[in-house]
Amino acid sequence: MSVCPPYAPFFGFAGVASAMVLSTIGAAFGTAKAGIGIAGLGTFKPELIMKSLIPVVMSGIIAVYGLVVSVLISGALTPEGYPLFAGFIHLGAGLACGFTGLTAGYAIGIVGDACVRAYVQESKVFVSMVLILIFAEVLGLYGLIVALIMNSKVAGGVGEICYS
Amino acid sequence: TEQAAIGKLNTQAASNGTLFKLVIFSLSLGIIPLTSYYGSLFYLWNGNSTLAAITAIVAANLVLIAYIVLSVLEDKQA
Repeated sequence: MSVCPPYAPFFGFAGVASAMVLSTIGAAFGTAKAGIGIAGLGTFKPELIMKSLIPVVMSGIIAVYGLVVSVLISGALTPEGYPLFAGFIHLGAGLACGFTGLTAGYAIGIVGDACVRAYVQESKVFVSMVLILIFAEVLGLYGLIVALIMNSKVAGGVGEICYS
Repeated sequence: TEQAAIGKLNTQAASNGTLFKLVIFSLSLGIIPLTSYYGSLFYLWNGNSTLAAITAIVAANLVLIAYIVLSVLEDKQA
């Protein structure tokens, strides 16, 4: 049983891909669902559009979380001296960030749609909308923190155990 | 008159630079996290990638806060 098999980078790259793909699915759902509500709001009160675009910007931040984790993990992938332990850690980090980004984007989409529709009729909804969106966003942030903590275990370079 | 109202809104948006602000924010949401990640990786943290990732996330959230503040100020102005 070798510690550094040649198929170990498969799991690392799967982590990179899943971080980017899954968080982007969440961000796309959030943008689309909130965009439906904003288009509905825009027909009644166009001057509120700048404020009501906040769910869309927050969905973009979820995609940025996935992007940063992908860039972070892919910077550590090498063909030589890559243990299977590092491959599994990178896969776990990518999945943690990706799936939490999916859930955060889903929440931002549904909340954004409902709140911008309510914002047309009652302007005090704006503060509670921003608060709920922030709580939905930190779900993605938790996944990012877990991904960072997992990745820091192999960030210092563990390729030496391949050659011992 | 519906088209006239839409046209008036477009000229209004163009004159107060709403579209320009939105374009700037979209571009900065893509450019700022990546540049802060690589810049802080090489110049600030000496290769420690975890701290560089945290710097990039803080920069992206600052862009978000700047957008929220700007939209609230613009609403107060109008």
